[in-house]
Amino acid sequence: MSNSGEKFTGHGEEWRDAKLSAQDAATATSWVELKIDKRAMLTNKDRVEDVRDAMWELEKDGEIIVHRVGDQHEPVMAKTLYGWDKKIPTNQLWHHKSCGQCGNIPGYPASLLWLMNQTGTRYLDETDQTSCTAWNYHGSGIGNIVSLAAVFLRNFHQAYVSAQAEGLDPGYYYPLVHCGTSFGNYKEIRHFLMHSAELREQVRKILAKLDRLIDGKLLIPEEIVHYSEWLHVMRQRIAAKQQIDASSLRVTIHPACHVYKMVPEDVIYDDDVLDGNRVAVSTGIMQEMGTQVIDYSTWYDCCGFGFRHIISEREFTRSFAIDRKIKVAVEEAHADVMVGHDTGCITTLDKNQWIGKAVGKDYALPVMADCQMAALLCGAHPYKIVQLHWHASPFEGLMEKLGIDWQTAKAEFEAYLEDVAEGKIETLYDPKRAITSGEGYQR
Amino acid sequence: MTTSAPSNAKANATVIADPVSADAPVDREELEQIFDDISSHPRYDHELNGCLNCGICTATCPSAHYYDYSPREIVQLLWTENLEGIHDAMQEKIWACAQCYTCAARCPFGNSPGGLVMVMREVAIKHGMESAKEVLRPFSRVMLKVMSTGNQLAPNMITPDHFPDWGPNISKVEAPLNILRKAIPMPTLHTLETAWAVNLKTSIELYTIWEDSGVLDQLETMDENLFDVVVDIMDEKREDYEDWLEEQDDDDDDDDDD
Repeated sequence: MSNSGEKFTGHGEEWRDAKLSAQDAATATSWVELKIDKRAMLTNKDRVEDVRDAMWELEKDGEIIVHRVGDQHEPVMAKTLYGWDKKIPTNQLWHHKSCGQCGNIPGYPASLLWLMNQTGTRYLDETDQTSCTAWNYHGSGIGNIVSLAAVFLRNFHQAYVSAQAEGLDPGYYYPLVHCGTSFGNYKEIRHFLMHSAELREQVRKILAKLDRLIDGKLLIPEEIVHYSEWLHVMRQRIAAKQQIDASSLRVTIHPACHVYKMVPEDVIYDDDVLDGNRVAVSTGIMQEMGTQVIDYSTWYDCCGFGFRHIISEREFTRSFAIDRKIKVAVEEAHADVMVGHDTGCITTLDKNQWIGKAVGKDYALPVMADCQMAALLCGAHPYKIVQLHWHASPFEGLMEKLGIDWQTAKAEFEAYLEDVAEGKIETLYDPKRAITSGEGYQR
Repeated sequence: MTTSAPSNAKANATVIADPVSADAPVDREELEQIFDDISSHPRYDHELNGCLNCGICTATCPSAHYYDYSPREIVQLLWTENLEGIHDAMQEKIWACAQCYTCAARCPFGNSPGGLVMVMREVAIKHGMESAKEVLRPFSRVMLKVMSTGNQLAPNMITPDHFPDWGPNISKVEAPLNILRKAIPMPTLHTLETAWAVNLKTSIELYTIWEDSGVLDQLETMDENLFDVVVDIMDEKREDYEDWLEEQDDDDDDDDDD
């Protein structure tokens, strides 16, 4: 070894304070902040490629089959970080649910499906799907590229064939990914799959056992699409359904790391949203619905979720969430609400506020997903549809600011719970459509 | 580059000892094997392209605010092949990373320190490091859920006992959990044990993925008891599925007779 005895450490003994004056330190920091919050920070790099080029080559060579976003999915074109086109399907969507949303903040997916009902969007919400398992991977290190790829392509294969249960052609539904981590993970894994014949062969063998190949080949999605992208390209159509004026609302956006920092070249940037300098989703729809989107200095920071930390090192998670996000949004931006687009972030920022009271940090900022806020503004019931009772942060003041009578809504919901106990349940779609094979399936 | 191990490596193995620690010294051969596993990982070349030590990754890192952790250090240790430092970082530091990938988004070289941390975590597990076992022990409840059901989180896992710092009420409307779940307007979410109803066939397919991708082996290395529990559940569910298939065959036969 040539480097025996040589040490490189982070904050070790060789670290020296630069001893800048307060003014010089502020100058240096502001220079960095001017750079890092700009799109150029993400684009000024070598070795950038559009992985879809490799995908089309592999299909031409007969190695894979691409599940296309077709005319039947009524795509809307969006521009990504480098100005590349991304096709966002707007109809015939297969909901790839999020375990954290469904388990913990169920008003998140329910609001999305409700918006789809309002806009006449056809979709399928079914039981033949697993989590992406990437939360576990990032938290524990148990899992690997082969398992993540096999889970990814198994779920997407099911999306492709699912319509057959309704007597429709394969490919009728296109997968729409709810979770930000699933979205980032699937894009990362698609990149590895396109560049490794060995990985493709390992995954092909597993999926062959599961009968999850098409003509003996891996099925790869043309686009990996996050629900927030659907919401973004649908924002004018959704705003046309708006019933509640939101012009007095001060909104801060928390963008999710796994949505826009992981595989950043595939993320939507829109010249009309924040001058194209920041990811457009969430901000775009909040602006379209007339809210005031307020900037704040820690916009770029993560939420503190940490995957492992939210489970077993929560002192880190809650400290980061309160000090770096919630406190700044309240004290600097005077926000009425923080709006996000990912499972872990909404959970972290919402649930971790209560404990702040113990140390005098009672900021009480409502936190919800963009689709929940959009549904509220379109008149969705705050309890039956948006399911805000699962949120720990106080939302009642926000409702009052919007002119929503939450007390009456709560009483309606409590009365509805009595109906539920008697089996009178209201659903967003025919429940028998949820099972596409196996036990309980009805044609 | 790593040096190749001498032919009589065991007898003459160089050992690295910390003069102020009572821990047993680490065999040089083991250090080299760990680095070989890291550098031959399929992600490695994608995640590491060079490093000028600019530190922009550490400046932006959430974990660096709270832990003795620096993504710059991780990249430098790997880039300079500092085997002792790599081993040391794998004991605790790599578990501080929050996996936000802010470092990757900002690195001018296109490195992904967060991705490198994942490679090191996988290798720590492959080598059955005690430190990894210790770190992951509180994660076992979640691991059991995701491996046996395919869902990472279930409604009945979120209780004030498990999350006392989230406040006294999981729901602001008081009602039994099963009623509250049935009041969600998505039929797939009327569940307690999983985040959504998962088709039995789906779980069985996932078990094949765990087995054939080596994930079950990882689990066995890290936690034998948890591994046994997961395998028992897998066997049970597979039997349930076989029984269901047989019932279908019987029903089909009955239909044919009719």
